[in-house]
Amino acid sequence: MPAGGYFGRALVVDVTSGTSRSQPLPDGVLRGYIGGSGLGTWLLYQMGTPGADPLGPAAPLAFVFSPLVGTPLTTSAKFAVVAKSPLTGMLTDALASSQFAIAGKLTGHDAIVIDGRAPELSVLLVDGDGTRLITAAHLTGLTAADTDRRLRSELGRGWRVAAIGPAGERGVRYATISHDGRHAGRGGLGAVMGAKNLKAIAVRAAAKVATADPAAVLAAARDLRERSFGPATAKYRELGTLANLLAFNAISALPSRNFQSATFDGTAELAGGAAGNAGGAAEDIDGMRRVARSSCASCTIGCEHIYRVGKGRKVRAEYENVFALGPMCGVSEPGAVLAASARCDDLGIDTISAGGTIAWAMECAQRGLIDAPWLRFGDADALLRALDEIGARSTPLGSLLAEGSRRASATVGGGSGAFAPHVKGLEMPGYEPRTLHAMALGLAVNARGADHNRSGAYEADLSGDLVRLDGGEAHVTAAVETEDRAAVMDSLILCKFLRGVFTDPFTEWAALLSGVTGWDVTGRELRDTARRIVMAKRVYNIREGWQPADDWLPDRLLNEPLSLPSGRVAALTADRLRAMIGSYYAMRGLDPQGRPDRTAVDDLGLA
Amino acid sequence: MARVTSGPVVVVRAPGQGLPELPEGVLVADDPREGRGPLQGIAAGLAALSGRAEIAFVASTDMPFLHPAFIRRVLGVLAQSEGTDVALPVARGYKQPLAAGYRVWLAEAAERLVKEDRLRPAFLFEESRVRTLDDAALKQDPVLAALDPDLDSVLNVNTPGDYAAARARPAPEVTVQLFGTVAKGGASGGPHLVRAATVGAAADAVAVVFDRHVTAALNGDQITRDRMTPLAAGDTVFFLSADAGG
Repeated sequence: MPAGGYFGRALVVDVTSGTSRSQPLPDGVLRGYIGGSGLGTWLLYQMGTPGADPLGPAAPLAFVFSPLVGTPLTTSAKFAVVAKSPLTGMLTDALASSQFAIAGKLTGHDAIVIDGRAPELSVLLVDGDGTRLITAAHLTGLTAADTDRRLRSELGRGWRVAAIGPAGERGVRYATISHDGRHAGRGGLGAVMGAKNLKAIAVRAAAKVATADPAAVLAAARDLRERSFGPATAKYRELGTLANLLAFNAISALPSRNFQSATFDGTAELAGGAAGNAGGAAEDIDGMRRVARSSCASCTIGCEHIYRVGKGRKVRAEYENVFALGPMCGVSEPGAVLAASARCDDLGIDTISAGGTIAWAMECAQRGLIDAPWLRFGDADALLRALDEIGARSTPLGSLLAEGSRRASATVGGGSGAFAPHVKGLEMPGYEPRTLHAMALGLAVNARGADHNRSGAYEADLSGDLVRLDGGEAHVTAAVETEDRAAVMDSLILCKFLRGVFTDPFTEWAALLSGVTGWDVTGRELRDTARRIVMAKRVYNIREGWQPADDWLPDRLLNEPLSLPSGRVAALTADRLRAMIGSYYAMRGLDPQGRPDRTAVDDLGLA
Repeated sequence: MARVTSGPVVVVRAPGQGLPELPEGVLVADDPREGRGPLQGIAAGLAALSGRAEIAFVASTDMPFLHPAFIRRVLGVLAQSEGTDVALPVARGYKQPLAAGYRVWLAEAAERLVKEDRLRPAFLFEESRVRTLDDAALKQDPVLAALDPDLDSVLNVNTPGDYAAARARPAPEVTVQLFGTVAKGGASGGPHLVRAATVGAAADAVAVVFDRHVTAALNGDQITRDRMTPLAAGDTVFFLSADAGG
């Protein structure tokens, strides 16, 4: 009898043969890795062939649920998609929220792991009748949203769909998997799915799962719901993350023009709202109205702020997509940035990697390293053209940029690797490391690469508790703590936007998990769990070829100081970063080269 | 001072002297001998910076109106003058050795002079290449000229009367801008011109509840939650949501 909130098994599907099997998940594994990102790491380590090509049939793709999915706890309708990233060659674990999480789990499995490669473009169906593959020939080239609509219309009620767009079919290395308009966005999971010849996976609930203490869970859900209406989530609810744009510009933390600056002249125009209103309420973007606010499934925060483009198209605007397609590429026309964001959705590509790679290419063109004089910073038409060429792989340049900035810079050469904006191959999010030193460390050492969700160390930089321009031991402690918190939140899974409502997070999360599972979990145990998950990701990466040089930042960020409007100079030198990384390794119990000892690996229970 | 420089701040104290709580990262150096005057303090402070910085601004702790723009001006001159060892303001009619810029390597000479009982900074200047900066030279910096036109930066407080007079002055004029939900809660985003001597007073002036959900960024640079963070004329204070980020 599995613990509450679990089925105690994973469904393993070989799409080459169309067969499937059920793999038991021992209680100890579930307790040790919880679900989502943690359990996904364990599964990937167990089931992946070491050294496998991420886009080959031997590389598994795992949809991993969590014990909280299906409970009334706010923001819990989430799942993780975990695979070896075709961008980084290391672990990637994208989280997303939608009804797909609930329907997927209620197929009766804690995870669905897909292996092999289907003989033709297919849709994988999973429900109470088992698994089957159907042709997706008629869906070829469709957007993920259109695929979702078509399939749900064809399959009937109760089905939920996760699909890839045309970029996933064409192997763009930062293609996404989409569902209900949300995306498992980072690391190229859409390319992995496309390499399996899967256009979509459709799931339909067929089972129920019990919680150990329904009354306690309900009481916790009510309490959490109330807290989710409070000031800790006000920014997300009232403004959305787009509110960061003006704030980050004001504090020189907004990367622009491929990290050549940490401020952007067009920010006020982009963030809109409100000429003269420094708050940037983001209710309008250059005349385009915010037309709706929405929530993910089972969420009471409601962070989605939808804007209308032109006369009909509605687009979700968040800080990261606007940053990447706006300031990063020097584009300040709000309509163009939203159109580019919509284009990314249609193609099924990650906005951050797309924006970062194109920004890098714009700088290459500026320096004469790429023969594309049309590809200029600030040119909205060029941005849209580049996106189309990437999504279609229709030109040599499009194919080059579809590989991501790391591979593209290796091809182009000419010193362009020094300003390729990535860590481990994953393009950087909108946090300027030179002015956010705790975040600089978090980005450098994170298992997924340059990622702001697995390392939220910017919280410490922006807290006032440490000096953000003077990275040292306090920044290392903060980076470890935020990484640990993320490891638990991403495994339970709870939305990060809820993080501010917890005053004693590990203890409160332990109580939630205990109520659902029936385990007597403590905050101390969850801290150990967090460290186990972080370590397991590192061990997976080491197995797949990680080297110490992978825990590093682009040369530009270490060699080009920033002059701040205050008159100070923000410098993140190689020596400073090296010192912080050394302390991080020590704090994590790693050797000076960032590797764990045999005992630490054995304790992970991966073997 | 920390706002202007990128390097460490050193506080020099007499042996065993009690100090108020200092901000994180501030270094404390002890005078090896008590009662040896300002040159001993200069020597100890510069020595503490050896290997950490090439130039330093040296200030006494009794100058309540020392403006960051003054420090920036003095250090700017020193940094750009390769043949200069000391940038010495001659402000309001007096040389200001305790509001001046020094090459850090002068520590050795200063320490030797102390041992020789030559305790006045003037002895150090005799051995150094000094560039003096009179009022006009200082105010060639338009920012300093605008924000500290009377060069009150060099005023020091020596008596209870001086202290009372300093407290009676109007608070400096600063600019406040509000971002995100902070702007939605009360006042509009701004910019608002207010008089406030501390970040907390600036928050009060625009009716911002400066609680755990709010942080302040001073001149877009130093992030703080400390209400008592001092402000100088011309400062800008941004109030942001504490959960800034995605």
